[in-house]
Amino acid sequence: MLKIKDGFMLREIAGTMVVVPLGERVIEFNGLMSLSESGALLWRKLEQGAEIDELVDLILSEYDIDRDTARADIEEFIAALKEKGLLNS
Amino acid sequence: MNMSWGEFTGTLMQKAAELGVPIEGQFELTSRCNLRCNMCYLGRGANDADAIKRERSAQEWIRLAAEARDAGMLYLLLTGGEVFIRNDFREIYEAISKMGFNIMIYTNATMITKDIADWLGHIPPSQVEITLYGASPEAYSYICGSSEAYTKAVQGIDLLLSRDITVSLKTTVVQGNADDFEKIAEFAQKRSIDFGVVNYVSPRREPGNTRPESERLSPEKLAEYEMRVQNYLNKGNRKKTYSVFKADKPSVDVKEYPFYCTSGKCSFWITWDGRMTPCGLMNEPATFPFEKGFDNAWEELQEACCSLPVCTECDECSLQDYCMSCIARLWSETGCYDRPASYLCRHAQSRKALEELGR
Repeated sequence: MLKIKDGFMLREIAGTMVVVPLGERVIEFNGLMSLSESGALLWRKLEQGAEIDELVDLILSEYDIDRDTARADIEEFIAALKEKGLLNS
Repeated sequence: MNMSWGEFTGTLMQKAAELGVPIEGQFELTSRCNLRCNMCYLGRGANDADAIKRERSAQEWIRLAAEARDAGMLYLLLTGGEVFIRNDFREIYEAISKMGFNIMIYTNATMITKDIADWLGHIPPSQVEITLYGASPEAYSYICGSSEAYTKAVQGIDLLLSRDITVSLKTTVVQGNADDFEKIAEFAQKRSIDFGVVNYVSPRREPGNTRPESERLSPEKLAEYEMRVQNYLNKGNRKKTYSVFKADKPSVDVKEYPFYCTSGKCSFWITWDGRMTPCGLMNEPATFPFEKGFDNAWEELQEACCSLPVCTECDECSLQDYCMSCIARLWSETGCYDRPASYLCRHAQSRKALEELGR
């Protein structure tokens, strides 16, 4: 299961979704990250923990997009989160 | 996702300014300081009983931070005075560091001990910005009233760096350290840290024992100093990652507004005794967030800022491109919002004259 690590907060600031590290998380991620609307949707799901298929279903329920494209975009998003060390697995 | 820090912040600030979201806050936690810098615009003694009595409590600052967060504050500067002089600074910082801010701390670094560096290293702010007041114990003795403070500042800087805390350095140019620029720049260079110069020294905001006007450089000497700094940096191979002159503040594009910068539009200052103002240089307009709540104070401040008069003489001046005048500096220099300030006018004239000489 994919899950966002504890210690990150998703905030909406002036219409922009921004991820902020809290407390000790600044050691590994000293900065901010903005997310698109769909990125924020995925992030919220990932805060609870989710499998890729669940994320694909979530995006398909909200956006008019085909499954293969959705999966490819989500895999890219997950890879970026992993690269930044934001995911537990 | 891969915007530079400057682009990201600039875009966000512009949006916040357009929407009136208070995205940037400066909490001046105390006016007290362990140093007695002779050009300080604010500082009071470390044990000033009146200041201690009127300071806001840790719980009050923490509650205000939560309110400001809910209103949209993202960038938070903790400053003073000297923040580490507060016995309850840890309590304030630990609570605030979990609220979802990008935090910067201003300090003179002289109170940073191994213990403080260890503690801060576990929950670091985004950045600690340190003012180095000179490059020798002698300079510190003259400017800050303590020769030992130089060694303590250097130790403090190195302790923070050894804990991988992001540090940047600045110096405030005054008569007592103008000759030290190159040495301070080399100090920063050696440690690979960002470096800037506070090139504007403001008169005191509140009554006190320091004398900024007699310690700062004359406008003509300041322009020469700036030229020297530029020439030094232009020699190349030296790290220069952000605008070296702090007084040349980047602005946002907000039409029909008395401030060039973000003050009162998407940023605010809370004084040590609890007033909300647009800028740390100004005593007015002021609103009262601890008494009336953050949202009300912010709304009142925005309205008050919009109605401030603008200096038409400055607006029509041909030296605008050379001038570091703004409404806060006019107020600080003259006590009026709309009167040109002789110090700033002479400085702009000197900048222009030097540029023409160099052509």
